[in-house]
Amino acid sequence: MLGSNLPTRLARLRERADEDLMDLVGKGEARAFEVVFDRHGGVAFSLAYRMCGRRAMAEDIVQEAFLSIWRTGARYDRTRGSVRSWVLRTVHNRAVDALRRGVVRESRNMSDHQAAERIVAPERTEAEVGRRDEAQRVRSTLGELPAEQRQVIELAYFGGFTHTQIAEMLDQPIGTVKGRMRLGLTKLRLLLGDLAEVRA
Amino acid sequence: MNDRSQLGHRDCGADAAAYALGALEPGEAEAFRRHVATCVVCRDEVATFQALADTVALAAPQLPVPRRLRHRLISSIRREPRSGRAATARLPRRAAWARWLPAGVAPAAGVALVVATALAVGFVLSSSKSGGNEVGETRIVQASVATPTGSAVMRLSPGSAELVLEHFPPPPAGKIYEVWLQRGDRAPQPTNALFSVTSSGAGTVYIPGYSRGIDRVLVTPEPLGGSQAPTHAPVIVARLS
Repeated sequence: MLGSNLPTRLARLRERADEDLMDLVGKGEARAFEVVFDRHGGVAFSLAYRMCGRRAMAEDIVQEAFLSIWRTGARYDRTRGSVRSWVLRTVHNRAVDALRRGVVRESRNMSDHQAAERIVAPERTEAEVGRRDEAQRVRSTLGELPAEQRQVIELAYFGGFTHTQIAEMLDQPIGTVKGRMRLGLTKLRLLLGDLAEVRA
Repeated sequence: MNDRSQLGHRDCGADAAAYALGALEPGEAEAFRRHVATCVVCRDEVATFQALADTVALAAPQLPVPRRLRHRLISSIRREPRSGRAATARLPRRAAWARWLPAGVAPAAGVALVVATALAVGFVLSSSKSGGNEVGETRIVQASVATPTGSAVMRLSPGSAELVLEHFPPPPAGKIYEVWLQRGDRAPQPTNALFSVTSSGAGTVYIPGYSRGIDRVLVTPEPLGGSQAPTHAPVIVARLS
């Protein structure tokens, strides 16, 4: 009987908002957690892979991040932002930790598209197509930034480098690097408009 | 390492962007977190930049989730009983006041509540002197505060109200605290109660215009002279109903 109700139960969960699902995750509802993972696992894995460039490492980072979310789900606070933002920040923090341990730097020189090509599934779901379109729009907008601003943002966010490291790499004063980050994000805000607030 | 709590917000604006991107050195990040807890301006900036950093994440080429990852993860959580959930403090749902904040301020409202040290539990202590009769009754209502230090309570008597602060940080440079009254989900109404606190963080503020039907008393940092509509997230929210 439980088994026959499962599809309906999952279907109902899939209709619920992220924030409601997180309430259930906070109470230990594994099915709700599955739905959250199905919604945001893709963007999480994509971020981890973009940062570390290794599939196995990206999987480990995402697994650790979601386990952390499962264990601390009750700490999700909807006033701090969307569930997707929370997931992305958790993954990003873990990936930065991994990068700063220095174990995954050398293999991240393949182009994004090469990487995507190697992993891409034979067919994409509608949600994946939507994510891909959104990613292209954000990438395109990043591309409108002055190169020096885009460079420091990408080195910091995707590379996990500190401003001190970036200043050394670029042979620029720390103040210049921080200033470029600030200018770049400020301009990005203007360019992105509504998209600047991450939505679930 | 600089202690950023000693710096004005003009000195640390660039750090807000670096912080949001995760680019501060660990010691600097910790010092900046302490600073942000006391600086509303930087808190706003961090919230804005953090939302942008979240968006940058989406620039990564989007890949499908490996099936084995899903399988491994779901298997793990089914094996792992969770504990301590019930004991974890929950933050309140998005407050009614968040809806009327300007678009750029809304994320900051969330951040502000993150650092709340006294959440909106809204406990009410009644010191009725006449067996529940309204006359002569004083209610003490604990307010939520969005500062790392300090506390605020409302002292309510029939027809009058006072806000009593202890160890509360002063408003940011060039700002003053302004008191607002809110009924239901309507926009907060400004009062002419503009204040700062003593060097020890104390203050007792008479709330003009208080009457029955006021659901919340809010305090926001505003430009000197006050504002007609809030420009920042509240640092104090007292729920009266």
